[in-house]
Amino acid sequence: MSAALDRPARAGAGVGGGALLDVRDLRVRFHQGGTSVLAVNGVSFTAWPGRTLAIVGESGSGKTVTCRAVMGLLPPSAEVAGAASFDGTELLGLADRQLRRHRGADLAMVFQDPARSLNPTMRVGTQVTEAIRSHLPLGRREARERAVELMAMVRIPLPGRRFSDYPHQFSGGMRQRLMIAIALACHPRLLIADEATTSLDVTTQAQIMELLLDLQAELGMGLILISHDLGLAASYTDDVAVMYAGGIVEQAPTRRLFGHVRMPYTKALLDAVPRLERQAHSPLPVVGGQPASAKADKAGCSFAPRCPSARDRCHTDAPPLAEQAPGHRWACWFPCEDGGHA
Amino acid sequence: MSDSRNGSPGPATGMGHHPTGDGPLLEARDIVQEFVVRDYGGVKSGVVHAVSGVSFEIWPGETLGIVGETGSGKSTLARSLLQAPRPKSGSVVFAGTDLVTLRGRRLLRARRQLQMVFQDPFSSLDPKWRVAELVAEPLAAYQVGDRAARRHRVSEVLELVGLPPAEYAHRRPRELSGGQCQRVAIARALALSPALIVCDEAVSSLDVLVQAQVLNLFERLRAELGLSYLFIAHDLALVKQVSDRVAVMYLGKLCEVGPADSIYSGPLHPYTLALLDSIPSPDPEVPRSAVGGTIRGEPPSPVNPPSGCRFRTRCPRADERCATEEPRLRVLGDGHAVACHFPLEAGPPPANGQAPVRVPLPAATPTEGRPGEAASTG
Amino acid sequence: MAAPLPDVLLPPGAPVPAVQPRRHRRSWAQDPEIIVPAAVLALIVGACFLWPLIFPLPPPVGGSVLDSGLPPFSPGHFLGTDPVGNDIFSRILYGGRVSIEVGLAVTLIGLVIGGTLGSVAGYLGGSVDSVLMRALDVLIAFPALVLAVAIAEGLGPSELHVIWALSFFSVPAFARIARSGTLSLHGRTFMLAARLSGTPGRRILLRHVAPNIAPQLVTFGLLGMGVVIILEGALSFLGLGIPDPAPSWGNMIALGQGTLSVQPELVLIPSLFLFTMVLSLNLLGDGLRARWGSQ
Repeated sequence: MSAALDRPARAGAGVGGGALLDVRDLRVRFHQGGTSVLAVNGVSFTAWPGRTLAIVGESGSGKTVTCRAVMGLLPPSAEVAGAASFDGTELLGLADRQLRRHRGADLAMVFQDPARSLNPTMRVGTQVTEAIRSHLPLGRREARERAVELMAMVRIPLPGRRFSDYPHQFSGGMRQRLMIAIALACHPRLLIADEATTSLDVTTQAQIMELLLDLQAELGMGLILISHDLGLAASYTDDVAVMYAGGIVEQAPTRRLFGHVRMPYTKALLDAVPRLERQAHSPLPVVGGQPASAKADKAGCSFAPRCPSARDRCHTDAPPLAEQAPGHRWACWFPCEDGGHA
Repeated sequence: MSDSRNGSPGPATGMGHHPTGDGPLLEARDIVQEFVVRDYGGVKSGVVHAVSGVSFEIWPGETLGIVGETGSGKSTLARSLLQAPRPKSGSVVFAGTDLVTLRGRRLLRARRQLQMVFQDPFSSLDPKWRVAELVAEPLAAYQVGDRAARRHRVSEVLELVGLPPAEYAHRRPRELSGGQCQRVAIARALALSPALIVCDEAVSSLDVLVQAQVLNLFERLRAELGLSYLFIAHDLALVKQVSDRVAVMYLGKLCEVGPADSIYSGPLHPYTLALLDSIPSPDPEVPRSAVGGTIRGEPPSPVNPPSGCRFRTRCPRADERCATEEPRLRVLGDGHAVACHFPLEAGPPPANGQAPVRVPLPAATPTEGRPGEAASTG
Repeated sequence: MAAPLPDVLLPPGAPVPAVQPRRHRRSWAQDPEIIVPAAVLALIVGACFLWPLIFPLPPPVGGSVLDSGLPPFSPGHFLGTDPVGNDIFSRILYGGRVSIEVGLAVTLIGLVIGGTLGSVAGYLGGSVDSVLMRALDVLIAFPALVLAVAIAEGLGPSELHVIWALSFFSVPAFARIARSGTLSLHGRTFMLAARLSGTPGRRILLRHVAPNIAPQLVTFGLLGMGVVIILEGALSFLGLGIPDPAPSWGNMIALGQGTLSVQPELVLIPSLFLFTMVLSLNLLGDGLRARWGSQ
C-alpha cells in the first residue's frame, strides 16, 4: 500500500496533463467593525489531476479562507486579490452566476460537518439529484438512477432503498459519504475536502480517506485536503503546503517535506504530535505562545515571536518563500539542519 | 490485588507508581448507565445502553487512559463516576467510600478530591464570570477559608497552571484563547487539592501546539502534586502519551485493559488493532495498513447492541460463539486483560520504534452483516 | 496579538481559534442604534415626569369652558385645548406618566415574577416544570382583551387594575422566555461544572443562569413594554382603563374621536407620542439585541 503514495500523476479530462488549479499570490482582507484583517497574504500553489495536495495549518492559518476564496464562498465584504485560474479560466472576480457554472462541474467542496451541510428536512436522494440536475439536463428518472449509482460509488449499502431516507437516519460516516456523493454528482475535476474527516472517528476517517483516494484514482480527479492533522497529510497525500498566519511557510512533495523538514514551525508541529512510538510521560517539545491568526501588519517573520531558532534578522525582515532545494520551498532565514524529522 | 475473577487486572507493574499500600484510589465495579429514548409525546421508544458493566481501578499516582470512538460510552462513564447522573447500577468506591450510595452534602464531601476537566474550554466556563471567580467557585461552594484565604489559593493555583494572576485574574473567558481557558478549567479543578482528575477529551479541541503545552502541564502537575488522572480521548496515540495503563472501550464495554506499552506493541483485541491501524502516522515511510482488511462497516447503535460480543458485526475474526456468548475480560499477559474469544497472538516486539509488523490474522469465517443489511464493503 | 478572523468562516468543531473575536470596538455609548432611541425615550420620560415640576402648566383637568377648542400655538396653550377647555400639552404629559407607569410596572412584574418562575421551572425540570407551565398555559389560553375587559369590568376602571389585568399576560410570556433560555443553558458545560463544584441550586440560578438569560429578558421586556402601552391605550379607549377626566394617551384618542373632523389634532397628537414611544422602545430593544446577541 505504501506504493500508493507514489501514484503517477494521471491526466484528467483537462488540457493534456496541465495544472487544474493554479493559485498565484492570493490575498484576502476582511473589513470588520472599523478594522481590517489580512487573513491570507500571498498564497500560491498548484493542484494537478490525479494528485493530492494537503494544505496543513492550525486555526487562524488561513487555510479555509484560501479555498473558500477560490470557490467564491466568502462574504461580500471580503476583499480578494491575486489570481486563481482553473484550467485557464480565472475564477476570482467572476460573478456568482458564472462561478456557479464551475462549482460542482469543475470544482467541488466537501465540508467538515455533514450534519450541518445536509438539509435535515429533505430526503437524501433528492439532495443528490438536485445536485445532479443543477448541471446536467437529465430527467427525473435518469437523475435518480445516476444518484443511486453515485451512492453506490461512495459505498453506501443498499443505495436504492436508502435513497428515500432522511439525513438523521444515517451515521456520521455515512453522511460524509453522502456529501462526497453530492460533491461528485457532476464529476468535478477537482475536489476540495475542508477538514472533511475531522469530526469522524479514526476508523471511519480511514475508510473515508481510502474511499476518496480510490475515487480519485478512478476518476482522475485532483484532490486538495485541508486539515490540521499532519498524520493525515503524511499518509494520504502527494504534496504538502504548510500554512501559518495567512501564508505558506513550507511546501514540498510529501515524502520530501516530512523527511527533510526545514521550517522550524513545521518541525514544531511534527514534534508536538503525540506518537505511538514515543515514551509515555516524556515531555513534548513545545513552542510557547498562541498561534498567530492572520498576518499582523508588522515586519519580520510571523513565527519569529515563538520560534526557538529566531535571531535578530527574523524580527525585522520577513523571509520570502523560495525554492531552495528541488521541489521544496520554505520561508526561513535559519532553517533546521537537514537531518530529518524528530 | 489481581482480581482475575472479576476480570480486572491488578496494579500497573513496573511503572514506578506503586500504591501506598491502601488499595486503589478509585474502584469502579459493574457500572451500568442507560438512557431512555423518547418519541414525541414522551412515549418510550428505546433505551441507549451507554455503559454496560464496566469495571476498573485507578491506583494513586497513576494515569489510566480510556480510548473509544463515538458511542463507546467513555464520556458517559466519566460522568457516572462523578454521579452526574448516578449510574443505574454498580459501585464507585473513591478513597474508601462508595459514591453511589451517597446524596446531597455527604456526596459533596466524599467527592471533594475528585474533579473533572471538560472538552470544550469555552463552554465549561461561564462567560459572565471572571477568571478569579471561576477558579474560586469550588472554594466558595465548600466554604473553604475566608475571602483572603480563597484569594490566596486562587493566586497559587493560577501560578501553578502558568497564568500569572496579576494579568489573568480579572479577565473574562472571551478574552482568553482556547488553551488559556483550558488552563483556567484546570486551575479550577486544582483549587481543592484533588487526588484524581478526570479529563474528558480535555485537549481534543485545542490546536496541536497548544495541545502539547497543556499535555506538558498535565505531566508537570502529576509530578509536582502526585495527581492521578483518568484520561479519556478518542486518539490512541494521545492516550498512550500520558497514560500508564490504557483501557479500550467499544459500545459500552471494555475490550482490553493493560499497560500502555503492552497495548501498543501487542494488542490482543481486534478492535484495538483496528484502532492502531487507522491512525495515520506523520511518517510517510511507514506503510499505511489496508484498513479495509481489519474492520468493516459502521458502529452499531447503542440502542440495539449486537448480542454476545458487541464488536462481532465488524470483526474479521468473528465466529458463531461470538454471537451467542459474551466474552468476559480475562487476564492474559502481565496485567493485560482482554474480552475476546479469539484474541490476537502477541506479535514480535517492534523494531526501531516504527509501527510493529502485524502478525497476519487467521482467516476468518465470512461473517454476515446485521440481519436485513448486506455486508458493507467500506 | 494579531486581529482575529470573522468566525463565519470557522467550521464548527475545528480547533478553537487563538482569541475569541471581539466584535464591538465601539462602546455601547457610541453605538447610534442604542443611543438615539435611548435619548428619545429619556426625553419623553423626562418631559412627562419633570416638566410639570419645573415649568408652570395649566392643570390637565378642570379647564374653563371659555378656553375650549383653542388651536395649537395659542398663547398660554402650546398645543391648544380640548372641547372642555383642558390644556392638551398638559394632558399629554400627565397622560404620558400613566402610560409609562403602566408599561414599566407590567414589564417589571412580568420580569421578576415570570422570569423567576420560568427559570426555576427550566432548571428543575420534571414535575415542577410541567405543573408551572401548564398553569401558565391556562393564563395564556384566555383571549387577551376579553380577560382584560372582564377584569376591568369586575374591578372597576383604574390605573392599578389595568396593571393587574395586563400582568396576567406578561408573567406567562416572560416565564416562557426565561424557561427556554434556562433550558438552552443546560447543555453548556459550565452548568455541570458548577454543580460538580458543589454550588447549590439557588446560587446557580442567581449567579449563573440569571446573568446569562438577562440579555434575552431585557430585550424582550423593551419590546414588550411597547405592546403593553398600546394595550393600555386600547383598554382606555374602550373605557375600561383610566377613567375620565384623568388623561391617558388612550382615552385622549377615544375622546378625540368625536371631534375628529373639527379638531384632528386631539387624536393625532397623542397618537404621535404613542407611536414615537413604542418605536423608540422597539429600536432600543433591537439595538441591544444586536449587541448582546453576538457576544
